[in-house]
Amino acid sequence: MRAVRRTLRTPLGAAAAILLAIVLLTAVFAPILWGEQAAVVDTDDILAGPSPEHPIGTDGLGRDLLLRVLVATRLSVSLALVATLVAVTAGLVLGVAPLLLGRAGRAVTWFVGIAVAFPGLLLALFFAVIFGTGWLGATLAIGLAGAPSFARLCQTLVAGVASRDYVAAARVGGIGRFRVLFRHILPNIGEPLIVNATIGAGAALLSFAGLSFLGLGIQPPAYDWGRLMMEGLSGIYLNPLAALAPGIAVVIAGLAFNLVGEAAARALGIESTGIVARLAAVQPRRAVGASAPASPDEILAIRDLTVTFPGQEGPVQPVRGVSFSLRRGEVVGIVGESGSGKSLTALAIAQLVEEPGVVDADTLRFVGADLLEGDPADHRRLLGNSLAMVFQDPMTSFNPTKRMGGQLAEVATHHHGMSRREAHDRAVDRLGAVRITDPERRARQYPHEFSGGMRQRAMIGMGLMGSPKLIIADEPTTALDVTVQQQVLNLLRSIRDDDDVAILLISHDVSVIAEICDRVLVMYAGRIVEDLPVSELSRARHPYTRALLAAVPDMQTDLDRPLATVPGRPVDPAHVPAGCAFAPRCPLADAHCRAVDPDLVPVAPTARVACWHAGEPLPTPVAEVARDTEEVVA
Amino acid sequence: MSELRFEDVTVCYGSGRSATRAVDGVSLTVPDGEVLGLVGGSGSGKSTTARAAVGLVPVDAGRILLDGRAIDVRRGRRPLQMVFQDPYSSLDPRMTVGESVAEILPKEIKRAARRDEVERLLELVHLDPARAAAYPSQLSGGQRQRVAIARALAGRPRVLIADEITSALDVSIQGAILNLVRELQSELGLSMLFISHNLAVVRYVASRVAVMHDGRIVEEGATADVLAAPQDPYTRRLLAAIPGRVPTAPTMRSTP
Repeated sequence: MRAVRRTLRTPLGAAAAILLAIVLLTAVFAPILWGEQAAVVDTDDILAGPSPEHPIGTDGLGRDLLLRVLVATRLSVSLALVATLVAVTAGLVLGVAPLLLGRAGRAVTWFVGIAVAFPGLLLALFFAVIFGTGWLGATLAIGLAGAPSFARLCQTLVAGVASRDYVAAARVGGIGRFRVLFRHILPNIGEPLIVNATIGAGAALLSFAGLSFLGLGIQPPAYDWGRLMMEGLSGIYLNPLAALAPGIAVVIAGLAFNLVGEAAARALGIESTGIVARLAAVQPRRAVGASAPASPDEILAIRDLTVTFPGQEGPVQPVRGVSFSLRRGEVVGIVGESGSGKSLTALAIAQLVEEPGVVDADTLRFVGADLLEGDPADHRRLLGNSLAMVFQDPMTSFNPTKRMGGQLAEVATHHHGMSRREAHDRAVDRLGAVRITDPERRARQYPHEFSGGMRQRAMIGMGLMGSPKLIIADEPTTALDVTVQQQVLNLLRSIRDDDDVAILLISHDVSVIAEICDRVLVMYAGRIVEDLPVSELSRARHPYTRALLAAVPDMQTDLDRPLATVPGRPVDPAHVPAGCAFAPRCPLADAHCRAVDPDLVPVAPTARVACWHAGEPLPTPVAEVARDTEEVVA
Repeated sequence: MSELRFEDVTVCYGSGRSATRAVDGVSLTVPDGEVLGLVGGSGSGKSTTARAAVGLVPVDAGRILLDGRAIDVRRGRRPLQMVFQDPYSSLDPRMTVGESVAEILPKEIKRAARRDEVERLLELVHLDPARAAAYPSQLSGGQRQRVAIARALAGRPRVLIADEITSALDVSIQGAILNLVRELQSELGLSMLFISHNLAVVRYVASRVAVMHDGRIVEEGATADVLAAPQDPYTRRLLAAIPGRVPTAPTMRSTP
C-alpha cells in the first residue's frame, strides 16, 4: 500500500493514474450518457467537417464523430482486456505445464519456443481467418497470438521459483504439485506477470484497432476505434480529424496501460531495494592540514574512514571512523559479522564504492599517494598496478566466455602496455606462480574448466600480473572446501614471504584469520573495536572478540557443554544505538556504556581496544538463554 | 524414530556418455536415535545423497530403506524431513512463519489444534509463538533457520536430514543453532543425518561420522575414533586442513 502511495507521488505514477482514470471513466460512462445520441442518424448533415455542433464532424450517416469516438472506448478497451486475459490465461497454462507434466512438459517448452518465434500479427491474421471475422474471432486471435510470449515469461519465472529451496521443502513435506503451484509458485511470480499483462493490454489495444481497421475485427453496426479509423480514412482529405481522432484515442489508451505497467514495475522494484532518498546531508569533509608524513615502509594509512549511503531516514553510515595502517609485508585480518562494514572498508580502500555511496576520511593514503586528492585517473592507474583484489566467488569474477590466459593477459596489456605475446607469457608464468599445474595448457582453458580452488588461485594470479604492494582478499576461501582453503591460504602466505606484499584478509571466520595473519582487526557495527596481534587472541580484551572466539566450535570444544552464544542480533547500520554499539548484547554493559561510545585507545604497545570494560572478567554465562537468543533487544 | 539405511545407492546426473556419478555405490546407516555426521568437500556428493533420501533426485541404483522397508514417497506425508542450507531461500517470502510450519502438519490435525501445534513447535525451537504472524523478511538468518527446523519437525519425521544448516549463518549465530540441534536430538531422540563440510561442527553434534569423497564413502565409524585415528588418506587430509593454530578460546567463566 505504501508503495502505491509513493508511486502516485512521482510524475510517472501520477500521469499513469490520471490517464487510466480518464480512459476507464470514459469506458464506463460514455455509452450511458451518449450511447443513443451517437447513434442518431442525420441525413441532412453527412460527412460534415468540424463545426460548433459537431466538433470533429460527422460520418456517412450524419452521426456525431466525437460522441462515437467516446462511446467506442468501452468496446475497444474491454475487448483489449478480454484479449489480454486470453493471452495471460493461455500463457499461464502453457507456462506451468512443464512443471506439472514432468518430462512430457518438455514438449510444451519446445512448442512455446517455436510459437514465440512466429510473428504475432501473422498469427492473429491466421486465427482471424479460422475463427471468422467478428469480435469473437478477433479477440481469440489477438489473445492467442499474445500467449506464446506470456508462456515463455511464465516458464522462466516458474523455473526460477521452482528451483528455490522452499519449493523443495514443500515437496519433501508431501505437498502435492498443484498445491505447490498455487501456494508457493503463483504468488511469487504474480508481480512481474501483472506488470507485463498491463503493458500487454496496451499492445492488445493497438492490435485490435489494427484488425478492425483491416475489416477483420468489429463488424457494423458495432464500432470500435479501429472501425472508426477505417471509416474516417476514406474522407481523410476532406476531414482529417475523422480518422485522426480515433487514432489519438488509441494512443491515449495505449499510453495509459503502458505507463501504469511501467509505474507498477518501478514501484515493485523500489519496494525490494529500498527507496533512495536525497543525499544532501552527506558533504565530503577534507582533511584539515597535512597528516603525519608517510614512513618508507607504509603501504596503507587510513584515518577516520567513513562510508555513507543515503537512507530512508537520513544518511546511513555502515563504516564509521575506521583507522589503521599496513606496513610492507604485513598480513592483517579484519573479522566481523555480516553487516559489520568489513567488506565496505575494503571496497573504500580500492575506490570501488559506487554511487550513491560516499567515501570520506581524514587520511586515505596508499603507497604514499593521497587517494582523497588529485586525479582519479592517476589513482586508478596506481591501484591497477599496485593493488590486487580477490573476491569470495571466483566464478563470477571471470568472464565465462573468454580463455583464462587471455583474461590475465588483458590486465598486463591494459595496465602495463605489454605486447600481447609478452602478456601471454607473463600470464602463463603467473598461473605457474600460483601453483596451477601445466599452466601453458590451462591458460587456453575457460573458467568453467577450472575447479573452484583453481579459479581462486587464478584470481590471485591475475592480481600478481602487476607488482602488487597490497592484496585485499575478501572472504577468499568462504566458497571453498577446507582442503582447498588451506592451499589458498598457503599461497597467500608464500606470496607475502617471497615478494613482501602486504595482505588485508577479510573473513567472518577467526580461525582463517589466525591461520596466516600477524594482526587482527575486529569490526563491529562499522567500527574497529579491537586491534591486536593474532598471538594474543586468547587474551582478547573486548567482550565481543571473546564471544566470537568462544562461539566457534573447534576440535578441542568441550562436548558436554553448550556452545557459548552471542545474545541479541547484529546492529542494523540504519539504527546504530547511542553509546557503545555492542552494549545491548554485552554482559558487562552498564549505563555509561549505553550513553558514551568508547574510543579505540592503545592498551598495550601492540593492542588497541574500544571498550569501557576491556579485559574485565565476564560473568558466568547462563547455561542457555531460555528464549530465542537472537530476539531484538529493545 | 527409526533407522535409515542406504544400500549401494548410486545417483547419476546427465545421460549417456556425459553422465557423472554424483553418488557412487554409497552404503550408510543412520542408527535409531543417533546422529550420523556426513562430511566431505563440495562436489563430494553429500548433498545429493540427502536429496536422494527425500526423493528430490531419483536413485539410479540401490535402495534407501527406513526400518528395513522402502520409503513410500508417492503420496501424503513423508517420513523424512530436511532442513536446507540457506534459510533465505528455504522459506516462502509470501507466507507467514505460522503458515509455513502449519503447511507441513499432518492432515489429521484439525483446525484449532493446528494453531496450538504450530505454537508448540515454535516454542520447541525457542522462538516466540507470537512470531507465527511474522513474514520471513522480518526475521534474522538464525531465526529463519529455527523456523525451517520447526517446519521439518512439523512433518513428524522419523529421520531428520540437516544439509549444511549452519554454513550460511554468521559464526555468532551458528553456535546457537548447533546448541538447538543437540538439545532437540537429546530431548526427542531424533535420528538424524547431519551434513557439513566442517569437521569441528560434526564432531560437536554427531556420534558417528562418515567421510565422503568423489561420491564414495571412504571412512565411517564412531566420531571420536575417526577423528583420533583416521584410516583413509582423504580423512587425514581433511583433518590436517582444519585451521588449527587458533589459540584456545578464552574461558567465559568468571575468575573467582
